[in-house]
Amino acid sequence: MSVLLWVAVVLIGGAGSVVRFLADGVVGSAAGRDFPVGTLAVNLSGAVLLGLLTGLALGHDQALLAGTAAVGSYTTFSTWMLETQRLTEERQHGKALVNIVLSLAAGIAAAALGRLIGLQL
Amino acid sequence: MTSSAAVTSTGPATDSLKLTSYFGERQRCGSGFVADALLGLYGRHEIATSILLRGTEGFGLKHHLRTDRSLSLSEDLPLITVAVDTRPRIEAVLAPVLALSPAGLVTLERARLLADTTAPGDLPETAKLTVYLGRQERVFRVPAFVAVCDLLHRRGVDGATALLGVDGTAHGQRERAAFFSRNAEVPMMVIAVGPGEQIGQVLPELGGLLRRPLLTLERVQVCKRDGRLLAAPAARPGAGQWQKLMIYTSEATRHRGAPVHRAIVRRLRSAGISGATTQRGVWGFHGDHPPHGDRLLQWGRHVPAVTIVVDTQERIAAAFAVVDELASERGLVTVEDIPAVARSEPGRERSSFVMKIS
Repeated sequence: MSVLLWVAVVLIGGAGSVVRFLADGVVGSAAGRDFPVGTLAVNLSGAVLLGLLTGLALGHDQALLAGTAAVGSYTTFSTWMLETQRLTEERQHGKALVNIVLSLAAGIAAAALGRLIGLQL
Repeated sequence: MTSSAAVTSTGPATDSLKLTSYFGERQRCGSGFVADALLGLYGRHEIATSILLRGTEGFGLKHHLRTDRSLSLSEDLPLITVAVDTRPRIEAVLAPVLALSPAGLVTLERARLLADTTAPGDLPETAKLTVYLGRQERVFRVPAFVAVCDLLHRRGVDGATALLGVDGTAHGQRERAAFFSRNAEVPMMVIAVGPGEQIGQVLPELGGLLRRPLLTLERVQVCKRDGRLLAAPAARPGAGQWQKLMIYTSEATRHRGAPVHRAIVRRLRSAGISGATTQRGVWGFHGDHPPHGDRLLQWGRHVPAVTIVVDTQERIAAAFAVVDELASERGLVTVEDIPAVARSEPGRERSSFVMKIS
């Protein structure tokens, strides 16, 4: 494991979180709703991407950079949880439940879809 | 502390000015943040009372919604600073304040700074009383803001909301919140609205509770109480006059499932209103219910929320129509006249604004 690889993980990881911040902001403010669509969009697109990358069967280093560093920093579990908690705080329990169920169901489907696409390539 | 001396030397109730800035948390000037620069300025000038409040949701002239509902949109939340002191002392900071905040809104209003708690003779028909306290200030082992809200509720005042500051000055001394600190003296404020006569009766009692009372009195009009329409905002002669609408609601009051203040901000934004800011209080009431706030174990939040809208009286009338519809069951709504306003305009230097109150 070279130093260069770890530097690349740091840089790509940082870039991934910046892309997430921008994507979440754009989707969130465009939707302008009480439902956290920004985080949902980020997590679903990340799941497709990660599925696709594993489907491609990349080498170890490429998988680390693309999977762990890029997609790992792009998607966010903690924000999903925080925003769900915010919804319950505001007594929007229906929306909180939808946020959990939809993210799980659509997330697994998205990863499967990504993998399917990856295997075709 | 020279400022408190300056206040007391001019009598019990001084004709003072209140300078308010509405801007964004991320706004910078030079090497630092505008918020730090403003409070630094108030500290150096030993302003009698000033406070920095963080909003939870809002939008400005560009209509970008900032909200703590989502993590990414909670960057650059709205901020409000309020500074009150005697006229010459506020006029001395006016030009630097305008130069410091290139974007946002600055308003200048009349307020009476009370250095003691004997009720002044000429109370307005309806008054807004603001009590400035320290965060850890206590009255008979009870937090001072709880004691003050309780007293105001027992005396039948229309509403009171305690808001937490994160920075400010008290009696001319800068008090800034820090992460590792008790933050005992960091200012907070209780805003109460009620009939002038009632507020006047509460004043001496507040004097009995607080060691170093710091209070301001302003004139307001109550438009709605407990969701009931009393009167629409009274228009002043002449077009383009500025007004401030304040909507006191609670996190527990909902409109189609969401807290009503969220619905109000959304609707105001789509109605083309120039800007709105919501702040979450820590304790308070508006109407007949007893004061409330968050508990350790709870099902949903219970704290009060205040939404502030500053605009021309024509657009305030439009904003009030929205508020009147959404706050139909609960909520206290007041309106005030704003004598002087400066806001960012393309191609115009902020420092060229003249803000004067005759």
